[in-house]
Amino acid sequence: MVISKKVEFSASHICRSAQLTDAENERIYGAAANPLGHGHNYVVEVAIEGDPDPVTGMILDLKRLREILEEKVLNVYDHRLLNREVEPFDRRVPTVENIAIDIWNRVHPWIGGRARLHAVRVHETAELSVEYRGEQ
Amino acid sequence: MIVRLSKRYGFAASHRLYSPALTEEENRETYGKCANPHGHGHNYEVELTVCGTVDPVTGRVVALDLLNGIAEKQILAPFRYRNLNEEVTVFQTVVPTTENLGVEVDRRLRAAWSETFGEGGPRLEKVCIWETDRNICEISTGAVADAEGWGSARSEKDIR
Repeated sequence: MVISKKVEFSASHICRSAQLTDAENERIYGAAANPLGHGHNYVVEVAIEGDPDPVTGMILDLKRLREILEEKVLNVYDHRLLNREVEPFDRRVPTVENIAIDIWNRVHPWIGGRARLHAVRVHETAELSVEYRGEQ
Repeated sequence: MIVRLSKRYGFAASHRLYSPALTEEENRETYGKCANPHGHGHNYEVELTVCGTVDPVTGRVVALDLLNGIAEKQILAPFRYRNLNEEVTVFQTVVPTTENLGVEVDRRLRAAWSETFGEGGPRLEKVCIWETDRNICEISTGAVADAEGWGSARSEKDIR
């Protein structure tokens, strides 16, 4: 059984790689390569997998999940310029792919008991989202 | 690291749900108002889910300009503001339900996929079509079309 929790944060980012030329950056990232940055209202869905506890009927207390997401993700990401203020985006392009992977890495160690982290899905806009299931 | 990226597109089109293999009464029973002879339209949305490895330099699983390009060329341009029954070849013989539209979208994308992304590139995993907010069809890529040999004997050329 899978249960999901949705949270939101707003942040700015710049999609440019120092390893690419200006022309390559603009071809790959389009308007998102603007060196002065731009922002999104991100929506994060965290899916937890497991069997519900026979007494509480819960896989994981969703209040606890909310606390983990606030402490480990929202407090770090919300209203920040990701490239300057959030590791590892000082050295890795903060694409929505890399954001989903980083959120997985931040949340994964804190999910335990009968619950397993199943997937992290990040919506950058209403049209674009990425899901990461911890696969290497 | 393997991720799945989903990108959503929209197009508006008209269709009529009517099968010549059924009687008038059966068509009305099966499709209801959707069988009205003059057709009707929807604002369709199509979400494509692509699975692959994140490039360590670009941080991308798929080149979005190529994904937008294949969607535009294979799906949006041929379907946008069209009468699907009259102007898209396959729907002259196949009823353009949300299910069949999903199968055709998947088939068109797969036919042009390796030419666009090369071998070993990201793979198309899923196609999801919204006919309305409440009528949604999801297709694991290839499953239906391959099983039924869909479109194998048909011309790819649209009528216009």
